[in-house]
Amino acid sequence: MSVSVVPDSHVPPSSSSDGASWRSSVSFNIRVSEQEQQVSFTGMLRPFVAEHMKAIRSTLETAARNATGELQLDFKRLKYMNSVAFLEINRFIRWVVGVRPGLKIVLIISSVIPWAIRKFQVIAEIYPNVSVVVYDKSLYPIQQVIEDEDFINVLRTQEKIVWEVERKIISRHGLRPGMRVADIACGLGDFVLRVQKEFNPEYIIGVDHSRAFLRHAQSHAKSLGIENIEYQYGDAAALLLPDDSFDFVTCRLALQVFHMPEQMVQELYRICRPGGRVYITNEMMSCVTGYPDQALIRHGYDRFLELSRMVGMDFDIGVRTMKILKNAGLEEIKGDLIGIDNMNSDRAYFAKVVESWIVSSGDVARSAEADPKVHEHIAAGLRAHVEAILGDGGYASWPIYAGSGRKPVRP
Amino acid sequence: MSGSKRSDSALTMRPPPMTAESGLIISTSFSVSGFGKRWTHCHQLANYLARYASANENDPERTSTLLSTFFNELIEAIYRNHARRGLIQITFERRHDKVCVKAEVPVDEESRRFYERTVELAQHPELMRWYRERLEREISEEDAGALGIVELTVVYGAQIAIEHIQRTDVEGSRSLHLWVEFPFAELDEV
Ligand SMILES: C[S@@+](CC[C@H](N)C(=O)[O-])C[C@H]1O[C@@H](n2cnc3c(N)ncnc32)[C@H](O)[C@@H]1O
Repeated sequence: MSVSVVPDSHVPPSSSSDGASWRSSVSFNIRVSEQEQQVSFTGMLRPFVAEHMKAIRSTLETAARNATGELQLDFKRLKYMNSVAFLEINRFIRWVVGVRPGLKIVLIISSVIPWAIRKFQVIAEIYPNVSVVVYDKSLYPIQQVIEDEDFINVLRTQEKIVWEVERKIISRHGLRPGMRVADIACGLGDFVLRVQKEFNPEYIIGVDHSRAFLRHAQSHAKSLGIENIEYQYGDAAALLLPDDSFDFVTCRLALQVFHMPEQMVQELYRICRPGGRVYITNEMMSCVTGYPDQALIRHGYDRFLELSRMVGMDFDIGVRTMKILKNAGLEEIKGDLIGIDNMNSDRAYFAKVVESWIVSSGDVARSAEADPKVHEHIAAGLRAHVEAILGDGGYASWPIYAGSGRKPVRP
Repeated sequence: MSGSKRSDSALTMRPPPMTAESGLIISTSFSVSGFGKRWTHCHQLANYLARYASANENDPERTSTLLSTFFNELIEAIYRNHARRGLIQITFERRHDKVCVKAEVPVDEESRRFYERTVELAQHPELMRWYRERLEREISEEDAGALGIVELTVVYGAQIAIEHIQRTDVEGSRSLHLWVEFPFAELDEV
């Protein structure tokens, strides 16, 4: 059971005469989930005096009294906190150590909030029963695999062949010049650059959770002398971007690598303005095919799909695109196929991309400690796909589902 | 969880590109009496200035979240400690990988003592030990007041100094200069 104990508008009344003067500096949500034994903070905590955190303090104390074993304090969406609030949190922890010495306290933070790690680390060092968990440290199971330099080159190639087909359909999903655009999980930022060049947006931002990718994206944009692009280190499941602020929100080939795709789509929805559109593209591995050796190719991709699911990804999420958009509350939903094949794409590039999947699936298989046979089957199937791409008279496809929906305008 | 976030600054605000690695970012000047009316001024000012100072960074959002955290502690301290009249002037300068802030604050006896003591504390040879002790036990009101600024040094590695200005205005109130140098390179790699 989760209850919202102190919603935004119900911050405790001020004891000072000028209530409004501190009120909006404590605009945040606190949520208690008894089942998960967790208290989560969102927003900003900059009170004038500790007194203004009375309600928060008593919520925390109740949670600590009821918790068994462990209490989690989730700060991963607390963007700002002043020293007054920090001292009060510290006071609470000291209190717990006194009254419930056996209770463990876990402080959950995110690397996206740049001040948090150093600050909370001190508390963890002081009290033996307190630990800090950086929740997004290993969010994406194959992060290290894809940040490899060779893989980065492949990603560029992949982006190129996808864009050649995608550019023909994207206008149908509502992308127009002069828009405010956000590309979430932007990777190396090539899509952002293309949109900047071809659609001249009013404003464009790319967000990703890979520092290595962002460094590439930033230096690439700089080397081209492009200044009107903003790149941001962020977590797609907890974006720092404000509500209702973009005309066109994109998330390409990324829901599939995330174990909480619905949460990611909720965030896309939140930052999209009413009347704007959310556009997503997704892998649909169950539909990849080729000729000859169709059975071998299919078998390889079926194993690859299973492997992806073992590590919390879903490389067939594309087939659910319409449902995901609808469940998120979007309307006027449109779907398209980005049908990459060895006739409409550069064969050598296409082959290079599939070859790289042989390597990356191997890394994933190792990290998942999968039976070595699994990767042998994947490799055999994908090699047959490469031959189908390059061979005379061969046919090979790589379908990607593109879908979009409009955020309703409520009266 | 409802993650509703309001914009705290203009998303597209971009000052003209800064060509030099060093130089003035922004300079502000405001009256003590207006500023002191509302606590929210602290956070609004901190966010605005941080956003402005970060606009040409590779990742403006990240830099401005960090700088806002720094600036806010300084501005909150000024909110709590100043003379009744006069002008507060804050200048932000970029010096390579640092942001240097110079704050001119009108002070009376009490607030002057506050800054002197705070800066002295921030230069404590065993600052981390001092800081941890303040967290381990109930902290005195005096130390709590200084903590926001002291944390800038002990937690984030900022440098702090103070300079008294001889000049006194017509009404006899004095000002002092507070210098803070904030690092904002990768403070937070995990
Ligand atoms: C397969 S790549 C797609 C990149 C790009 N959109 C493209 O089409 O080339 C998936 C991207 O998702 C990013 N990612 C994974 N988890 C993320 C998260 N929680 N928040 C933001 N980005 C994330 C990865 O860093 C990677 O850049």
